[in-house]
Amino acid sequence: MTAAQLTAEPVGEPLPRASFTARHRNALLGGLAVALFFAAWQAIFLILPLNPLFFTTPTQIAAGFVDLVESGDLLHDLAVSAVPFCLGLLAAAVIGVPLGVVMGWRVRIGYALDPVMTVFYASPLVALTPLLVIFFGVGLSGKAIIVFSLAVFPFIFNACAGVRAVDRLLINVVRSLGGRERDIYLKILVPSVLPYIVAGSRIAIGRALIGVLVGEFFAASEGIGYAISRFADIFAIDRMFACILTVMVIAVVLTEAIRWAERTAFPWRAAH
Amino acid sequence: MAGTEALDLDSSTITTGRFGTSALRQRIESIAIGTTAIVLLLVVWELVPHVLPMKSGTRLFTVPSRIFDTLWEMLATGSIWSPLGVSAAAFAVGLALAIVVGLPLGILLGRSATLNAMFDPFITAFNATPRLVFLPLLMLWLGIGLWSKVAIVFLGALFPLLINTHEGVRNADKRLINVVRSFGAREWDVARLVVIPNALPFIVVGLRLAIGRAILGVVVAEFFGAQNGLGVVMVRAASSFQVDVVFAGLIVFAVLSLIMTGLVQLLEERMSRWRPQRAENE
Repeated sequence: MTAAQLTAEPVGEPLPRASFTARHRNALLGGLAVALFFAAWQAIFLILPLNPLFFTTPTQIAAGFVDLVESGDLLHDLAVSAVPFCLGLLAAAVIGVPLGVVMGWRVRIGYALDPVMTVFYASPLVALTPLLVIFFGVGLSGKAIIVFSLAVFPFIFNACAGVRAVDRLLINVVRSLGGRERDIYLKILVPSVLPYIVAGSRIAIGRALIGVLVGEFFAASEGIGYAISRFADIFAIDRMFACILTVMVIAVVLTEAIRWAERTAFPWRAAH
Repeated sequence: MAGTEALDLDSSTITTGRFGTSALRQRIESIAIGTTAIVLLLVVWELVPHVLPMKSGTRLFTVPSRIFDTLWEMLATGSIWSPLGVSAAAFAVGLALAIVVGLPLGILLGRSATLNAMFDPFITAFNATPRLVFLPLLMLWLGIGLWSKVAIVFLGALFPLLINTHEGVRNADKRLINVVRSFGAREWDVARLVVIPNALPFIVVGLRLAIGRAILGVVVAEFFGAQNGLGVVMVRAASSFQVDVVFAGLIVFAVLSLIMTGLVQLLEERMSRWRPQRAENE
């Protein structure tokens, strides 16, 4: 797997002017579909006598959600999970980006580290969770290290791809016009690499979420992943769904926020 | 003129290095340096216990030679095949289901703007969420046998296939579609003649991503809810401190993943040789 494969994007709306009404229509259709979905979910219990031990309705989920929020359990679990998530992600960015930049900038270092990184990236590192739990315990450090080990690769590969994609012509232009090294870094390297890193961070967030959940499913006594598996164990389907939907909403908000940042900050990249 | 030539040479050697002798030399150099780095890493790892005196941690530490011994033993005694077969079954069934559902749905959504708008919120939500979050639910519904694993593999592999197929279909040349239509083609002919051939390279990219997700799905599902499979072997080994077995299992998964994605990548390069732009999504 090479670096460039991580970066590119499905194209968005090609014509912002003409697509205003179309986008409006799409949002309406999407909202309608979601409303229909939940209505059908609610209605199916009127027709089919589904076992309430295994199935639940949207209204019950909403009630469970209110319960969890009022008791403060949900916020507590989210806060507990957020700490290793943020720490692991931060460490992944701090270590991954410089490593990727060096791999992209120094050709021979790239040659040396590419295969090693590819092997690590291709192997399901989640499989090391049991070992990491034994090494580092079930607490914060164990989870943060799982998050880090999953989230670091998108940063490495994308920073590397960003540096390799730098237009050499631009560097020559800056040199010809009397620019200094600093100008090359600030005016060419950073603007060219930054979109790649942001795109990488979007992928890294998804993997970091996996890391938190794996860590908490495997061994934990609190956190959102633990809450989900505990509610499943005690057949509290409504509260389990409330937690699952919360995780879904958080995941969507995080990824869409970064997509939005990509579109606003780097419009020249979103264009193609 | 000379200046542009030098530039072209420069960029071609940096990116692919497929033409000319200097590119060949660079390719050899990259392989040599890469291999050296891996060998060096293994040697250093092997030497760690000889250099650092480890008193308490020896049981938790292992070296490459012991891992390969264990792997060889598992292969020689054949103890690996039965759990590997269980994992492979979940992988194959889940991936096949994802293909069967993902391709037609992707084509449909690519051709119909209305359906696309209606499905979009669900696809966005499921694609952004780690599918792992549904594992406790799926175990509750489907039990801890084959089918909860299949479901996780399916959910993981579906979205790369679906999204890339959709992207490939949308990318189809409108003029070609109009030409075929002018000759009296129906929607099915449009799909068969223009849309599907055009989407194939995208679908293959989706397949490559789906394979990676599917393997991840098998491993994770077997960690938490299964009685059989290579992932189960690894978890049991970890809890009894057989670290080399864990690494041996990891190597098996990694090698299988590399072989399968490599094969698909070959297919991909063959198919998209004439195509400057590639579809990607993860």
